[in-house]
Amino acid sequence: MTVKEFLQLFRDTVVLCFMVYVFTMDVYLAGSGVSLELKNAATVVHDADHSVASRELIYRFRPPYFKLDGEIANMEQGVRLLDQGAEMLALYIPPRFQENLGRGEPAAVQLQVDSTNSVLGLLAAGYGARIAGEFGLEAALRQTGVATGEQENLPVIQDDHRVWFNPNQNDAWFMSISELLTDITLFAIFLPGAAMVREKERGTVEQLLVSPLSPFQIMFPKILAMTAVILAGTAFSLFGVLEGVFHVPIQGSLILFFAVTTLYVFTTAGLGMFIATLARNMAQVGMLTVLIFLPMIFLSGAWTPPEAMTSWMRGLMYISPLHYFLDASFGILLKGAGLEILWDSVLAIALIGSINFGLGMWRFRRQFQ
Amino acid sequence: MNMKRIVAVAHKEWREIVRDRVFFSLSFIVPVAMMLLLGYGLSLDVENIPFAVVDYDRSALSRDYAYRFIGSRYFSFKGYVSEERALARLLTGNKIRAAIIIPEKFQERLLSERSARVQTLIDGTFPSRTMITKGYVIAINSAASQELLAGYLARKGGMPLKEAQQLLQPVNVEVRFLYNQSVKSIWSIAPKLIMVILMVSPPFLTALGVVREKESGSIYNIYASTVSRGEFLIGKITPYIAISTFNSLVLWVLATQLFGAPFKGNFLFYLVSTFLYLICTTGIGLLVSVLVRTQIAAMMVTSIVTLMPAVLYSGVLIPITSLTKTAQMMAHCLPAMYYTNIVVGCFLKGVGLKVLWLDTLVLVLYATVLFTLGYSLFHKRPSS
Repeated sequence: MTVKEFLQLFRDTVVLCFMVYVFTMDVYLAGSGVSLELKNAATVVHDADHSVASRELIYRFRPPYFKLDGEIANMEQGVRLLDQGAEMLALYIPPRFQENLGRGEPAAVQLQVDSTNSVLGLLAAGYGARIAGEFGLEAALRQTGVATGEQENLPVIQDDHRVWFNPNQNDAWFMSISELLTDITLFAIFLPGAAMVREKERGTVEQLLVSPLSPFQIMFPKILAMTAVILAGTAFSLFGVLEGVFHVPIQGSLILFFAVTTLYVFTTAGLGMFIATLARNMAQVGMLTVLIFLPMIFLSGAWTPPEAMTSWMRGLMYISPLHYFLDASFGILLKGAGLEILWDSVLAIALIGSINFGLGMWRFRRQFQ
Repeated sequence: MNMKRIVAVAHKEWREIVRDRVFFSLSFIVPVAMMLLLGYGLSLDVENIPFAVVDYDRSALSRDYAYRFIGSRYFSFKGYVSEERALARLLTGNKIRAAIIIPEKFQERLLSERSARVQTLIDGTFPSRTMITKGYVIAINSAASQELLAGYLARKGGMPLKEAQQLLQPVNVEVRFLYNQSVKSIWSIAPKLIMVILMVSPPFLTALGVVREKESGSIYNIYASTVSRGEFLIGKITPYIAISTFNSLVLWVLATQLFGAPFKGNFLFYLVSTFLYLICTTGIGLLVSVLVRTQIAAMMVTSIVTLMPAVLYSGVLIPITSLTKTAQMMAHCLPAMYYTNIVVGCFLKGVGLKVLWLDTLVLVLYATVLFTLGYSLFHKRPSS
């Protein structure tokens, strides 16, 4: 039976092509494309002062965060550019900016931010304020003459932050791993479900019914074959794309990672079987997969960190097996953690997984009788 | 073109959709479910970051400093830890996401008017969270430094504390957030979600609907009938466009009523452009269905050509100007970006045809090209 499943899978070129695409290009695209950092935010400036101070301040709005697109004649032009979506920020420096600064009077600059993308809007405003703050502080210290430059001799807190596990905050590392894990989930649900429903659509399920096989013996080889294929894809993607292209440093034990993945895929396949018992044709499988798959992603922390969720959602998160799979995989791959630290995640995968598997099995058995 | 025959094909298709109850109900449930999930789920307003503190100094000042983090709503305090090695364990086990290490002589150095170093460890696995956490840490630290410095200046220069504080901040930045004044992430996300969902669901439905006929063989009835190619295609997609139009209205209601997103633009313009966009995305589904033979292939190809580009190359998460050059080119080749401009314009900016005429025109062009392609690739006499 397992051999039959393998043969069937390998003869389906479309599905194979799709798997190859997903495990290479899709992971690659996700890793190279998505970044939520503020990068080269298009900025225009209206400088009504044209002084040394104003130029120095403007000069600080530079890459990687900002990108100066030149000066504009007046405020209206700035608003128009923002309306069109051509620019993201407009900075206005009032007349007599330097003069006010020199006299120790507060000088106000205005920053207009396109906040149609709220995260980037907030980031831009934050960076802008920080730049202006530092500029002001330096100017003030020079002005008062109380302290001459050296930070060492001032009672300030020097912050020394270190980012662990991904020191350069390389988005590609995170995105590619999380995309890989999501893809594994998608296939773990979709492939067994699709394989089963195809038998239903073609009517070959009748043959299985009259054969001397128990429901378990029909279901198990399917899951076994799919798990093997998914694992092969994972290995391919892990070594080819993640390590090869993005240079993700794999810290932990690969054996542990594959063991956890096997456990996860195997148990999640139960969900696919469950879908197969509900659906009657391929189209239904597709839509049901989406319906189960999307909440799983959203409740897992693959796209949004758990810290950004409302408390009731965080409660629901604990039932998404993908959440634990993410924790465990990031733990193994990036953090180099072993089983002694991650045992709780693995245990959760096993628990939720066996419930899923049991559910699929139960429905499946019932359908056969 | 014969109206009667188009109506007949559309009617037949409609019957077929309605009779497949699961398919019919899912074609309405999936978009709404996606909207709800993404709307509630796709938030990046990070709060309650779990963190721990190692305080080697154990002085009044160090406790004050730690309290700046403990009292902040952005952080959630998980307790003091005695040494750094324990921190590593907590960070690796995903129990905390940040840690603060206050060195010895923290208070002593500050009181003797020298700078004090603190160390912050941040979990870097999720870069956007890391970045936000870093932002909070920097903000808290600079506020602390500012207060210390103001006190120092006041003592040195013999002026009141208030004046010293003002002196240290000579440049005020007045930030004005345009279009989304309260910077709510749901306001900016909800309109774009309409774009994403309408990019994914209509092609899905259409592709499956057409390919199903191919797979079951009933397409030969069409081949043999008097219905012309154009009549068949138009009749075939009409029910799907109808379903999607209905869905788009439901999504609009969800965005404005449930998520409270403002709608500042012209509703008529929005309706017309949405309809155009639907024709585009349905056209994508049609094109896919003409090219592939099985339903499973239709689903996979559709998801490749719609979902990723819609999220990546449309300006939903990353503004087009921040993309790399090749990605920018991809973005300009797809309808998603143009419609994103339109939804954002209609919902948040309140601009109309005057600013968005180019985007609308591109959508019209796109729809025409897609249908011409679909029409010319669909043959009643299969080559094989």
